[in-house]
Amino acid sequence: MIERRDILTSRERFGLLVIDERPDRCNIMPLVTSHASTVANMSVKDYYTSGMSMARAQLAALEAYRHDAISLFSEVGIIAEAMGSVFEYPDNDLPVLKIPALTKDSLSEIPIPDPCTAKRLPVYLEAIDFIYTAVGDRVPILAYVPAPFTTGMMLSDPNEFLIQTIKAPQSIHDIMEISLQAAITFCYHIINAGGLPVIVDPLASSSVVSPQCYKQFALPYERRLIDYLHRYDLDIILHICGETAPILDLLPATNADLISVDKVDLGLVVNKVSDRIRVVGNYNTSKIAFSSPQVINDDIRAMVAEGMRSPKGYIVATGCEVPIMTPMENIKAFITAAKETAWYWV
Amino acid sequence: MLEDIAPKKISLLEWSERFEKLTDDDIGRFTYYHNEEWGRYLQPPATFMVYGARQLKRLQFDNSLAALRMWGFVFNESERLFRARQCGKKIIATMGDLGTVPVIVMAFPGCTPFYPECIWWTPFFNESNVLLDTASELGAPEAACFSRAALGAFFKRAYFPVPDRIFASTGATCDDFTSTIQSIEHLGFDVTWFEVPFRRTYPDRIYDDAQFEAKFLKRTEDYLIKEYRRIWDIMAGLTGKENTDILIESIRKTNRLRALAREIMDETHNAETAPFPALELMTIEFGNLYGYADIDEWLSILENVRDTVQLRIERGTGIQPKNAVPIAWINPSADPFLLNFVEDLNLRVVDTEYVIRQALVQIDETAEPFRALARSFLHASLIGSTRQRIASILRAIDQGKIKGVLITNVLGGSHCAMETKLMERMIDSVPVLSLDVPPPPGITEQIKTRIEAFAEALHD
Repeated sequence: MIERRDILTSRERFGLLVIDERPDRCNIMPLVTSHASTVANMSVKDYYTSGMSMARAQLAALEAYRHDAISLFSEVGIIAEAMGSVFEYPDNDLPVLKIPALTKDSLSEIPIPDPCTAKRLPVYLEAIDFIYTAVGDRVPILAYVPAPFTTGMMLSDPNEFLIQTIKAPQSIHDIMEISLQAAITFCYHIINAGGLPVIVDPLASSSVVSPQCYKQFALPYERRLIDYLHRYDLDIILHICGETAPILDLLPATNADLISVDKVDLGLVVNKVSDRIRVVGNYNTSKIAFSSPQVINDDIRAMVAEGMRSPKGYIVATGCEVPIMTPMENIKAFITAAKETAWYWV
Repeated sequence: MLEDIAPKKISLLEWSERFEKLTDDDIGRFTYYHNEEWGRYLQPPATFMVYGARQLKRLQFDNSLAALRMWGFVFNESERLFRARQCGKKIIATMGDLGTVPVIVMAFPGCTPFYPECIWWTPFFNESNVLLDTASELGAPEAACFSRAALGAFFKRAYFPVPDRIFASTGATCDDFTSTIQSIEHLGFDVTWFEVPFRRTYPDRIYDDAQFEAKFLKRTEDYLIKEYRRIWDIMAGLTGKENTDILIESIRKTNRLRALAREIMDETHNAETAPFPALELMTIEFGNLYGYADIDEWLSILENVRDTVQLRIERGTGIQPKNAVPIAWINPSADPFLLNFVEDLNLRVVDTEYVIRQALVQIDETAEPFRALARSFLHASLIGSTRQRIASILRAIDQGKIKGVLITNVLGGSHCAMETKLMERMIDSVPVLSLDVPPPPGITEQIKTRIEAFAEALHD
């Protein structure tokens, strides 16, 4: 099949989706994050420690794949690191949490970081600034911000954190409050640089915590962060990778405008929540890394047909980040299949 | 709701800082179409910058709540038009006449007029050639006016919904825009054409024959009335409404809008120190054409602006020093940055000829409504001689109120190509600078240098 020529730019397409209009075709947004470093032939460490490198890598990936959004992200510890957690930077892998801040400092000693100066937060802002100048009129620039629950767990010893949700819930709420303020401050700077914050909360998924725990400790802070962003009338994607089937019914209560899902049956998501919230997802990231282009092509066609049943709109995406070493031809197969099939306009 | 502070032009970042101090109730107070779910519009420039309006990063804005409301409302217009369609309103494109057909359209309940050509600001606010390049691919080349962006927007269907009806003027109107509309028609859109006549009055008394003049004006009026009645009939057919009383109501509302805009402009221009910036004033003048697709809310915003302006005048405060040099501006700037830049050079815009003077004229509420509309339109900037276009500016120069004139040409704009040299010759007692506004990314260093030299000459 011959790929149809786009009528709209990525930005125009996204703009129509979020005001409940059908664009020419679905937005196609595989989560090309750190994988962009391989497209640009740079080390992963270079990607997440230099704003200019992150920008160059993302622009190289955009040029190679012609997908519909820039996705600025390295890993979920970025705010926790700026608040005092210690990370190691392997040369060719993502940062690794070594010393959580709350194992060495008390909560009262944890600062609300200044995104212009604290650790790697300026890397994001510099990357946004550079990319905005380059392609900001045509492509949405999504900047992934860890939600308070995920940041809270990265500030703590993860096991201890989970135990405290049962034994000392108020202490968790205290951590959530400061994590929320840090996330709001970071989002404020992202907005003023030209980026659209996307809220990510992988450690709140049902792969990690129970629905009750999610409802008690994660959802209220996701919602407050999203409500803050709604003051600016921004359209917010909430991305929860991992298992989300048990909490699907709770997701509209976050007030998110779009929900990005991972390990859950897309048909179930469409049936349960897509009349209230736009759906983003959810091709299996192991498959995009290890399957053949032909298999990916077939899978995407089936996934798109399912996703396009969403009355509020659908974005073709991977369930989580495209793995760093994914072959480029696999991502191209994903995008080509989506571009051939995901059309609303005849 | 915002602290009472001295007037000042502030950056996008400063507006975000101020916006942080607003409560959720403050933000929720203002809505269009009275819809609380999606009709909120009190957002800072940063919101629109995130969605691609790149120029906002370097523009300066008035720091009043009134200005914040105004910008939020104006930048929301595209979404507002789609929402209008979603809630069952009919969307009517009125093209080329600049001011009168919307009065007819607004008379019909549930009908929203808009000017697709006003999309010409978008390439500049976005610092983007997307729409202009699309228009070029469709046959409207770089040598045509920036209003060709409308062709790109019609093709893309992402900036406004497909209109239920399109009315477009031909005749004594902008030639290149008429050709743009023809290209839109060739895309398959159904266009209803109407003709606007040339205004054959003779203020220079070349023909000293008052009887001839009166007779000719009557014929011109009669012709326009016939054209407006044809538009009325089409709208009546579309909506099933016939009663012309609703037209009189629409005229009254339009007059309120025009009177408010005139009041704001006159008070600002005549104040000792400029109480409101030129960029915001130009936005208000263009809003006069149709109320940015929700005239009731726009009226409320203008009342807010008027109160702000009056308070500042009362206090003797403003956004420029008192010694700013008064100038007149001819043709809309196309690039909004220019208005910021000129004010930064301590020049003050006190008179304008943005080709939309007809939208500032009161419509006679006592005359037969179609005749009243025709008479008001006969003040139109582009349907008469060059001398008529700049008559009020020439008078202001004679009275010593204007020390210089800036003419911003749009490459391909027929009135620019035909009239600028004539105007330069006619304005012989104060310095005149005419320049061609380049397409995005916009103003070059060379153009800045020319404006700086112009400002220096005026300050000397």
